[in-house]
Amino acid sequence: MSKLSMGAGTQLLSALPAPKQDTSSLYDFSNDPWFRDRVEQSKPPAPKIKQVPPYGKRAGFIPRRVEDFGDGGAFPEIHVAQYPLHMGRKEEKNDAKILPVSVDASGKIAFDAIVKQSENASKTVYSQHLDLVPKLPQDVDMKDEDEEIQETTDRTKAAFEKIVHARVSAAQPKNVPTQSLDASYIKYTPSQQSAAFNSGAKERVIRMVEMPKDPLEPPKFKHKRVPRASGSPPVPVMHSPPRPVTVKDQQDWKIPPCISNWKNPKGYTIPLDKRLAADGRGLQSVQINDNFAKLSEALYVAEQKAREAVEMRSKIQKELITKEKEKREEELRLLAQKARQERAGGGAMNAERAAVAPSADVHMPTARKVEEFDRGVDREEKVRETKEEKEMRLKREAIREERRREREREKRLEAKEGHTGKKSKITRDRDRDISEKVALGMANVGTGEVMYDQRLFNQDQGIQSGFATDDTYNIYDKGLFTTHSAMSSLYRPRKDADTEVYGGADEQLEKVLKTDRFRADKGFAGATERAGPRDRPVEFEKDQDEADPFGLDQFLTEVKKGKKALDKIGTGGTLRASAGSAMKESYEGGSNRSRVEFQRGR
Amino acid sequence: MRRLPSKWPRPVWHPPWKNYRVISGHLGWVRSIAFDPGNEWFCTGSADRTIKIWDVGSGQLKLTLTGHIEQVRGLAVSPKFPYMFSAGDDKQVKCWDLEYNKVIRSYHGHLSGVYCLALHPTLDVLLTGGRDSVCRVWDMRTKAQVHALSGHENTVCSVITQATDPQVVTGSHDTTIKLWDLAAGKSMSTLTFHKKSVRALARHPFERSFTSASADNIKKFKLPKGEFLHNMLAQQRAIVNCLAINEENVLVSGGDDGSIWFWDWRSGHNFQQTQTIVQPGSLDSEAGIYAMSYDITGTRLVTCEADKTIKMWKEDEKATPETHPVNFKPPKEIRRF
Repeated sequence: MSKLSMGAGTQLLSALPAPKQDTSSLYDFSNDPWFRDRVEQSKPPAPKIKQVPPYGKRAGFIPRRVEDFGDGGAFPEIHVAQYPLHMGRKEEKNDAKILPVSVDASGKIAFDAIVKQSENASKTVYSQHLDLVPKLPQDVDMKDEDEEIQETTDRTKAAFEKIVHARVSAAQPKNVPTQSLDASYIKYTPSQQSAAFNSGAKERVIRMVEMPKDPLEPPKFKHKRVPRASGSPPVPVMHSPPRPVTVKDQQDWKIPPCISNWKNPKGYTIPLDKRLAADGRGLQSVQINDNFAKLSEALYVAEQKAREAVEMRSKIQKELITKEKEKREEELRLLAQKARQERAGGGAMNAERAAVAPSADVHMPTARKVEEFDRGVDREEKVRETKEEKEMRLKREAIREERRREREREKRLEAKEGHTGKKSKITRDRDRDISEKVALGMANVGTGEVMYDQRLFNQDQGIQSGFATDDTYNIYDKGLFTTHSAMSSLYRPRKDADTEVYGGADEQLEKVLKTDRFRADKGFAGATERAGPRDRPVEFEKDQDEADPFGLDQFLTEVKKGKKALDKIGTGGTLRASAGSAMKESYEGGSNRSRVEFQRGR
Repeated sequence: MRRLPSKWPRPVWHPPWKNYRVISGHLGWVRSIAFDPGNEWFCTGSADRTIKIWDVGSGQLKLTLTGHIEQVRGLAVSPKFPYMFSAGDDKQVKCWDLEYNKVIRSYHGHLSGVYCLALHPTLDVLLTGGRDSVCRVWDMRTKAQVHALSGHENTVCSVITQATDPQVVTGSHDTTIKLWDLAAGKSMSTLTFHKKSVRALARHPFERSFTSASADNIKKFKLPKGEFLHNMLAQQRAIVNCLAINEENVLVSGGDDGSIWFWDWRSGHNFQQTQTIVQPGSLDSEAGIYAMSYDITGTRLVTCEADKTIKMWKEDEKATPETHPVNFKPPKEIRRF
């Protein structure tokens, strides 16, 4: 193309008049990159191609440089890596991550160059074995001079000032620099100075005005947080690796997994011994303080003492009471006797006896003495005492005897109950207050049943309701207290039972004796028909059926009759069980439980 | 190879320390302590959320300050101003005015509990480290956070400051110690010599070195580069919670199990091992030292303990090198861990 243009150009150029200006003042295109591609430039002369030794004469020739190859390529018969025109050479990677091996001043390879690169270059890094070796304690130089301190302080303070000022003023934005719309002028002298640029002017003045910022404009850029750059490069570790843990140590530090008594979020099934293992129950033996035993012993002893004291007190009291009672009884007896004597005979003799009688203390001997006296009196005053009086006396004595027996019984019961305080059934509820009996539930209150006042009923029946007066108290049909004592359960015939209903006592006796209740309607099977009392020994008959225990003969004879009498042999008295839903015809209730039905054997 | 044992310096004789006073008044563990620069009183912060101020000479309680809502983990008293600084588990860092006994400033910014607190000796700057694994540098007056020294991977549990570079040294639960350039807010060096978390750091009062304590060892380092010097010659096999150094070169370390070991600084020889006795009414397992500090003179040591007491220790006057001989055997083989 250049040749073509040259061809056309030369003709044209020759036709045009010669230029007036000197070409030297014109711009030098040769360095212009645009022109370099298009305009042919005078290149330096081609390098002289070295003559390559011809084939056959290349012994010992090793091409190392580009010109050794001459015009051609690699020599296959020379077994050396060859790169004609640098072709085939692997790219030299300028990897920043690969450090070249360097050697320190004494010729040894500096292995810690890795550690001391980049940021660590400015820091002190200890990487040598010598740094680890303990040094002899020498006199270390004493503390710093004041100058050094002062200099350091000033330097640091200055640095801090800036930072603090920045922070503080940032925190208090008093002086926010506002936009100034004043123009500023800049004089600029460009480096390329010629008539082509800037119309030949040597300098330019530029007017700079701040672009007016819209105050309501939202921020243009989003400030993103940049993750912190990683810390300083790692430093060699100047100690031996941690010692391997011994088995004992490892076991000492073993922490068992936590098995909570409350939470089990993953729902693990943990055996019971593991659940309790963490509790530490087996590890602690419960220590009971000795004072417990001492306390209980002391209480026991105190209780015993108290009981003894109480018993003694009660015994004494009882004795006192009995003495009182006897005294009073005695007095009453004397009074009664006195009264009788006065009734029966003269007062003089009574005065004598009355004087003698109170001297006795104990009741029993007194009674005997008195009785003797009485009998004596009796004998003496046989004439005076009438039959009625004797009867009355005997009655009184009987009563007295009864009372004495009662008292002895009471004393016996009390003694039996004794110090334990455990009353027998008889004595237990005898002395209870009625409110206590009601509270205990011995009262026969009808449970929830509605009780109507009996006076409400039979109000208009009149005579038909029966022969009861208005004030008959028939509200209650049973007694209030359900006493189970022998006293209430034993039957005591009362004298004034309704003779009209049941007949008099004699009639009742007749009824009881001459009853036919215990006479059988029919006699015993097999026995003779004699109903009266025996007058001769019982007659037995020999058993007829011994030869034929199962009654087969009878079976044979009676089978035609169709009697079912003998079918019952061997079946009676059993209880056959039948179970299963098939057996059951009816479906009772809601449960499907297979019920076993027991049927009596036929 | 140099034979280290023969060259190892013999330890200086120090009299043994004994407990002479027990102060009980706190209702929870006593977690932090700071001394007044005038040596009149000291203050202790406790798990019962109070800060109590005690008289040094008599041990009487002077004042109780309430305001924190969680354990008070760090305390410092400023030598220049009448201020006391306290930091707690409730993320609060408070500045108390001791003339009015009130909180005047609060430094807000920690994301989690604050475990340690230190005051810069020359600048008016406060440094706190906590569970957010960052040591924050606060300007005292404006309450602004100047730097957040980040780089640790776990809780920062101890911090010390000094006037020259590195101005801040922090120890963390990630077992590293970092030395920081405070002006730039960047770490200068990371020391990975410990195997367990570095719970205590202590700077020597006049030498250019510091010690760090962790559960495996107590190590000594040289400043400003943080070169490892040597381990202490015995291993207190307990979690060491606190360190304190005297002007007489007595280093004391307090363990979580109540063991207090006294060391000669220069040689690293342990000359006394004691165990605190819990106050009556406490369980035996409640023996533990959480913080300790020497007073300004260095003659009295005050330990803050887990049985809610504060114990004061002093050197036994009656002890002599004859009664308490130095039982030192130079280390034949220095184990390098």
